[in-house]
Amino acid sequence: MATKTESVIESSSQHSREEHVVIFRLAEEFYALDIQTVQEIVRMQTITSIPGSDFWVEGITNLRGRVVPVIDLRKRCGVNAGDHSPETRIVVVSSATGMVGFIVDAVSEVMRIPGEQVEPPSAIVSVPENTYLRGIAKLDDRLVSLMDLEGVLPRAAGAAEEFEFAAAAAA
Amino acid sequence: MATTRGQHLQFDLDDDDVKLFCEEADEQIELLDTYLVQLEGEPEADLVQQIFRAAHTLKGSSATIGHKKMASLTHAMETVLDAVRQGRRTPTSEVVDALLAGLDALRILANEVITRIDSGVETSGLEADLHAVLEADGPEASSGPTVAGGTTYQLSETSVSAALAGIGQGSSCYLVEVQIDPNSQLPSIRGFQVLQEIDALGIALQTWPDRDLIEAGAAELSITAAILSKESDEQLQAAVRVVSDVSSVSVQVIAVEQLDHPIAASVTSAAKAGFDSGRPQLALVGSPAVVNDTARAPKKAATQSVRIDVERLDGLMNLVGELVIDRTRLQQIREQLSAVLKKANLTELEENFEETTAHLARVTDELQEQIMRSRMLPVKSVLTRLPRLVRDVATKCGKRVELLTAGEETELDRSVIEEISDPLVHILRNAVDHGIETPEERRAAGKPETGTVTVTAWNQETFIYLSVKDDGKGIDTRTLRTKVVEKGIMSREAAESATEEQVVQWIFMAGLSTAKTLSDVSGRGVGMDIVRTNIERLNGQVKVRSTPGKGSEVIIQLPLTLATTKALMVMANSTVYAIPLVSVTEALADHEADIHSVNGVKTLRLRSRLLPMIDLANALGDSRPRSIEAGRFVVAARHGERQVAFTVDRLLGEQDVVVKSIGDLVGNRKGLTGATILGDGTLGLIVDTASLVTDQAILASA
Repeated sequence: MATKTESVIESSSQHSREEHVVIFRLAEEFYALDIQTVQEIVRMQTITSIPGSDFWVEGITNLRGRVVPVIDLRKRCGVNAGDHSPETRIVVVSSATGMVGFIVDAVSEVMRIPGEQVEPPSAIVSVPENTYLRGIAKLDDRLVSLMDLEGVLPRAAGAAEEFEFAAAAAA
Repeated sequence: MATTRGQHLQFDLDDDDVKLFCEEADEQIELLDTYLVQLEGEPEADLVQQIFRAAHTLKGSSATIGHKKMASLTHAMETVLDAVRQGRRTPTSEVVDALLAGLDALRILANEVITRIDSGVETSGLEADLHAVLEADGPEASSGPTVAGGTTYQLSETSVSAALAGIGQGSSCYLVEVQIDPNSQLPSIRGFQVLQEIDALGIALQTWPDRDLIEAGAAELSITAAILSKESDEQLQAAVRVVSDVSSVSVQVIAVEQLDHPIAASVTSAAKAGFDSGRPQLALVGSPAVVNDTARAPKKAATQSVRIDVERLDGLMNLVGELVIDRTRLQQIREQLSAVLKKANLTELEENFEETTAHLARVTDELQEQIMRSRMLPVKSVLTRLPRLVRDVATKCGKRVELLTAGEETELDRSVIEEISDPLVHILRNAVDHGIETPEERRAAGKPETGTVTVTAWNQETFIYLSVKDDGKGIDTRTLRTKVVEKGIMSREAAESATEEQVVQWIFMAGLSTAKTLSDVSGRGVGMDIVRTNIERLNGQVKVRSTPGKGSEVIIQLPLTLATTKALMVMANSTVYAIPLVSVTEALADHEADIHSVNGVKTLRLRSRLLPMIDLANALGDSRPRSIEAGRFVVAARHGERQVAFTVDRLLGEQDVVVKSIGDLVGNRKGLTGATILGDGTLGLIVDTASLVTDQAILASA
């Protein structure tokens, strides 16, 4: 009896597990982030670049008094990064290491995707260094890549290169 | 007994209580730290009382939460202090040593309440030591009547008249002293029960601590009551003993003669006179009266102040930082808007708007100032640690040193206080270890055998200064000159031609130590170098002055707060950078500058110095194409002895900048300390001159 109830709950939860996501476009591809992590979506604004930072780091921006790092998600995901358009947006998310902005070509919609429409990424693509895809949602008209937020972020500092200088010439 | 290190501990308190307990324990431990070192010799009675009270409070609170080890150790310390208080034991250096050792263990034990992990500190040895110093002084003083602990209790006038009236009606007046086992789980309840038993048998005229306190659940382990009762002393004894955890009860009859005092009766004391002369070996600046005042100060202050979580203050500071930026933006918008409004003939609206924005600006400035002030702490919180340190170091080096402090009330930002403590300790250690001579050397030089180190703090404009001055032998410049040549840091000519004033600053160079022998106190000459680095990271400066044979003085200059920094704003390759003003020595247009090419390196001749010229954007790793106007201005910046000249595109003027963290996600942040929000809402980058100057100067000389 007990085992039966359990299995019923399990299977029903699997079926009803929905992905509540924000879908956005990078070049011609569609990606999605869990809506829980998204703080806000703002228009493109002035971004101050940090000299010598990784190429996908666009810089930092002032979000109502907060200094927020901005990552060009197109460069991070290896899609063709064209010019910014009036549709370009910064998706501000809250990650374990703090607030981060992602530059995307357009935000298309907020959506609930039923669990059974999601496939593990290995079934469709297999990129060795892929740390950020956790699933592919098959919608009627297109495919949407579900992103893992922590996987998409560069590992926090510490990995920063340490330059070693020769001791003083006189030594 | 098997070791319990690492074991999980259980205490009788929830998270809020932990915070309360720690705050109180920290306060009392700090107090002990400050005053214990002054105990040696013939201390003031008030000082002893203060120390005793601190130990007593610690004992009470640790017993309340069921920290048995801590309660039992404080009990042992309290017993020794009690003996000192009553004059039964002279506080010799052995006594103070034992107490200080106990204090060190207490610190660790108090921390267990947070970690909940057994630190493995063994207290039995310390308790034995404390017991031993108590015994060492021979038998307890036998003169005069002694009651239990031998403490003096003052009966109020009302109590005395009530007692006399009661005795007239056939009752007896008793002094009942009850000790509660420090291991009791519920000392506050036990105290209350004792009071109930007493109430059942008679009238409690007066209790120590106050009845209100006991009823409110104060965890006192010793309760004394003057009571009026028709019962015999044995019956009283027996009645109180019924209460659990009562370890001892003493009942003494108070005779009519003892009560018959015109103003107030003083009941029994074994305390000897004789504390009231002499001066402690180590003293804080000012008369003993000052010490007493500060000792009482926390009580008075408690009624006027509120404890605020530091995070909340930091949050406020950030919010005000945003407000300040909006204020600047608002003023820019007003300027644009006023032209439009005037054109549209809306002068009244324009004036109103101008008035309001001006008012808003004033209030914002005031608010920022007030919040900055509320984050300030008196520098005293750092200085209280120093007497103990000086005593330890002096003992280790076989020197006699008196520490004087002044300006303890000087306030500075909490963030600065946290950062300044270590450098200060280091400088002080150096002063005692290297500066002050041994008593023999001092006698030979015709100086008093006891050296003096003075730590002074003061405010001047937007800076705070800290000075550590000793009357020792001064800095040996001859040895320094030889050393820099030996170590290959400088050529013989350069070393010989430097002025005395320049040479003394070399103590801040890496790898130099002039002490003839290495000691475990000041280490291997890495110290002062790190001191300077740390202070410069705080946008401060450190300098030293020295007179041979007379002593030396290290002066630290610090900004009042770390939240804002004065900076020179520059533009380099379309990015705005803020260069902290403390490191900027000069800024000039390149056509005014005396620029030469030496070995293919562009070099700026500034006065007598040659500075390598470095493109700021390049040095920071900016690889974007350069703008046309590149490198039209030169900013000379220094870090310690090193100087470089940065070329930038434009100078934008001075500005107060609010330092914001860039965060960890950006990757390479080499050469940058943070970002700041500019007047137009965009961000500028704050240059870490210390790292940049050091790296670039080394690269250029390589």
